Amino acid sequence: MSQPDPLPAANDVEALRAQVEHLAAQLSEEYKMASIGRLLAGIVHEINSPIGSILSNNQVILRALERVEQALAGGDPASLAKAKGLVGTCRSLAAVDKIACERIAEVVRGLKTFARVESADLRKVNLNEQIQNTLKLTHGEFKNRITVETDLGELPPVECHANMLNQVFLNILVNAGQAIEGQGKITVRTRREGDQVHITISDTGPGIRPEDRPKIFAQGFTTKPVGVGTGLGLSISKKIVEETHGGSLDFESEAGAGTTFHIRVPIEQDRQAAGKPPGGRT
Amino acid sequence: MSTNQKSSVLIVDDEEMVITSVRAYLEIESEFEVHGFTSPEEAAKYLESNLVDIAVSDYLMPRMSGIQFLHRAREIQPEASRVLLTGHADKQSAIQAINQVGLYQYVEKPWENEQLLLIIQNGIERAKLLRDLRAKVSELDTAHSSLKNVQKRLLQAFL
Repeated sequence: MSQPDPLPAANDVEALRAQVEHLAAQLSEEYKMASIGRLLAGIVHEINSPIGSILSNNQVILRALERVEQALAGGDPASLAKAKGLVGTCRSLAAVDKIACERIAEVVRGLKTFARVESADLRKVNLNEQIQNTLKLTHGEFKNRITVETDLGELPPVECHANMLNQVFLNILVNAGQAIEGQGKITVRTRREGDQVHITISDTGPGIRPEDRPKIFAQGFTTKPVGVGTGLGLSISKKIVEETHGGSLDFESEAGAGTTFHIRVPIEQDRQAAGKPPGGRT
Repeated sequence: MSTNQKSSVLIVDDEEMVITSVRAYLEIESEFEVHGFTSPEEAAKYLESNLVDIAVSDYLMPRMSGIQFLHRAREIQPEASRVLLTGHADKQSAIQAINQVGLYQYVEKPWENEQLLLIIQNGIERAKLLRDLRAKVSELDTAHSSLKNVQKRLLQAFL
């Protein structure tokens, strides 16, 4: 019998663990960026319409002002009436510009929720708002074939790493969108349940095959073609919800009837230093 | 179809703001009649009973894509020019559109007003020429068949 390898020194174990954690964080970050990358075409479409509109309006307003000037110089009643009409046009275009700017700001806000922040950035957020921001990112990708219905109940502020939970929402939404072939529907529902928040994301896709169900949270497992699926999304999501937040991530699926994911997150995180009563975890 | 009638432009985009902007520009720079729809289904219905010279459509829309809509437009009014106005950064959709719906032009958002106006003017002219050509061909057909009739009667009279 050969001699077993000597046990690594405690220092080495610590160093290795730190390295593994660092790599896992890096992988999770890269995965997040990749999932946004896949949505990019839709996001670009969402931004290009309002930009096109603003640029066009700007030109029309300048042209209209030139004509107003000419009309004012003319001074006769017919010219003045025309000038009045042009002012009306400018006013309605300014209103359109405002809507267009708000639309761009919404998409940017959605992207901002994914920006890299300190992992220690635990704060209280409105999860309904976060979900709506995330849906702004999938809107372009989904809108020609998937209707998204939201049923967002009243929620207390939830203490969490918002950017990480957004990644979970985005990941499950993108999966749901990919599961649906052709036209379909995704329903997002939020409720408070005691000391936790329960978020469900359901799709009308074909459901997960019974033989795949035990494996879907395993790292590297995917049913998608190479280049589309990495097999990382759900394993990262489970880690974020369960290990980082002390919540739970489960699903139910029925062949032909679609899949529903259940995300449960405690309203308050269990922290000794916070001096608050412990939250959902016991 | 008489040529002195106002040229008619159909714009389909699920974003009301795009329709408003294009309409404002065309109203200030041209004499075209602009008909805007946020629903491609309603636009298709409009095409069934109203003649247009050019149909400008967005690509990504709920329920019906721009390609599906322009395909429908081609069936209803084949002479009307078809333009895809899209913010979708995807050349695949452009190729698909050109091949499947006989696209006249592909314009990317954000668009340049002058370029769009030029495309619309040329597209309208193209549609009118096609309609004139069709009318001339059918006139020729009628003239040809009446000539044939005359020839037949002449032959009958002499033989």
